[in-house]
Amino acid sequence: MADLVLKRLDAQFASPIILASGPAGFGVELAPALDLPRIGAITTKTITIEPRTGNDQPRLVDCPSGALNSIGLENPGIDAFARLAHSQMRELPLRRILSLAATSPGEMETLAVKAAKLSGFDAIELNLSCPNIGGKITGADASAVREYVRAAVGVTSIPVLVKLPGDTGNLLNSSESALSVGAAGLTLINSVRGLRIDWTTGRPFLSRTYGGLSGPAILPVSLARVFEARSAFPEAVIIGTGGVSDLGSAIEMLMAGADFIGIGFGLMVDPELPQKLAVELDKWLDEREMVSVQEIIGLAHSGGFDVH
Amino acid sequence: MGVRVEEKKLMNNGVTHSGSRFFWQQAQLIDRRTSERYARVLLRGPELPSDVAVGQFVLVRYSDDPCLPRAFSVMSSSDLGLELFVKTAGRVREKFRTAPMGTVFEVRGPYGTPYADKISLDRKYILVGGGSGAAPLLHFRRQYPNHVAGEVYGFRTEDACGLLNEIELTVESTTGLRAHEQLRSIWRPGLGILACGPEPMLRLLAQEYRQQPDVYVSLEARIGCGVGTCLGCSIHTSTGMQRICKEGPLFALEELPWLI
Repeated sequence: MADLVLKRLDAQFASPIILASGPAGFGVELAPALDLPRIGAITTKTITIEPRTGNDQPRLVDCPSGALNSIGLENPGIDAFARLAHSQMRELPLRRILSLAATSPGEMETLAVKAAKLSGFDAIELNLSCPNIGGKITGADASAVREYVRAAVGVTSIPVLVKLPGDTGNLLNSSESALSVGAAGLTLINSVRGLRIDWTTGRPFLSRTYGGLSGPAILPVSLARVFEARSAFPEAVIIGTGGVSDLGSAIEMLMAGADFIGIGFGLMVDPELPQKLAVELDKWLDEREMVSVQEIIGLAHSGGFDVH
Repeated sequence: MGVRVEEKKLMNNGVTHSGSRFFWQQAQLIDRRTSERYARVLLRGPELPSDVAVGQFVLVRYSDDPCLPRAFSVMSSSDLGLELFVKTAGRVREKFRTAPMGTVFEVRGPYGTPYADKISLDRKYILVGGGSGAAPLLHFRRQYPNHVAGEVYGFRTEDACGLLNEIELTVESTTGLRAHEQLRSIWRPGLGILACGPEPMLRLLAQEYRQQPDVYVSLEARIGCGVGTCLGCSIHTSTGMQRICKEGPLFALEELPWLI
């Protein structure tokens, strides 16, 4: 068996497969379906300081090779999460990443202070790129990114990751801002702003008009962002999220330079996908007599395989 | 609850879970009757649930289509297979009309709270269906015949008549009546209502029966995960956010103040 274990963020992860923030909820309901010890980590649904009811229906619509979603960060708020879901989540036998969103750096600091008191998390992921809550996308503004990251890093000793948009702003500037003030890594990318119109009624399908596109449709976008971020920041931890749906696309994501592969839309379609990917990746590495997944991370930056 | 029990051993700690409803099961299309707008199909597979409770739904996908699966209320569930009644528009649904017999679909579920867990079974109900919303109500009348006081199944045209021989349809194009209008002639105080159909029909019904007890509506939304985690189907209710795929699809009218 090849070694899928990765040492990153001061911890050891069982595999590069990570459940992205959103479709996995807090992991508790999906736990019976998941082979948890094969999964590197679960990222929580994004938590905010106050409870949020999210957007009105419809929140989801099909797209060729994906879906548009507009959930709007529905969550119980950090206090209710701490009271209700946190203890159950802590029981799950895998690593955990806490996703947070705030409307100002000050609020992010308050939220991160509360988050730092919750045990059992290996990293905090700042969601600075939700396309479904209106207003400006923080992650597109490099100076705002700096302020939000600084606010969180200053009050917690847990590694801080930053989830950035793939379709707006200057990704490298935002990444540079985040890393320069202490972010340990980048999660690339959030869903991509999109629109569908019901042509039988002439109205947008989603209640908020726009949604975030996820699924195989955005794979080339996420690969490009991961590739350019890896080129620019060789030392940053990168979670590549966006459109991975099978072994081939998972390997592509690693070769583009992602340390970890975030699975979001793919989990909605097939709850077994994370463990299937881990098993298939292991087998694929074995067949090529590679001892560790480490050997293919960033491979596309160094000329690919030696062909004799 | 009619959740199929297939024990799955997880590798983590040897704990045994009943997790079969999370996994795709193969199902063959073994019978089909179609009209212009609808199809009544029977799917059979060795791992398909045979005891889906009334009101529950399954997710269906065709091949490894990289899109969201489609949710369908179950019309009947037995050793013979899973029977669905669907409108044949849309990607998965069109396949039900065109795919050759024997075509393999993938099914997971059942999901949702059974109707019997949400309604009081100490009274009788009038079943009000609109279009493919008839499916779970046909399941109900088969399982709980003693709780049915009357039935109205509204369709725009006669199109579906040949597919649903077991019931009488209210066809708007011939009678000029819509389901909620037909309902007026049979509802009387003391009877509950179970309704499933398009939102405009449910709204009309809500306007007239808002003050009555035991009026329930089965809601529809695009379903993402099916298991309550993605929150793609969350709706506002009088007791906070609830998920159509988990706490629903059936809700008491009084829980839905927005449905008027």
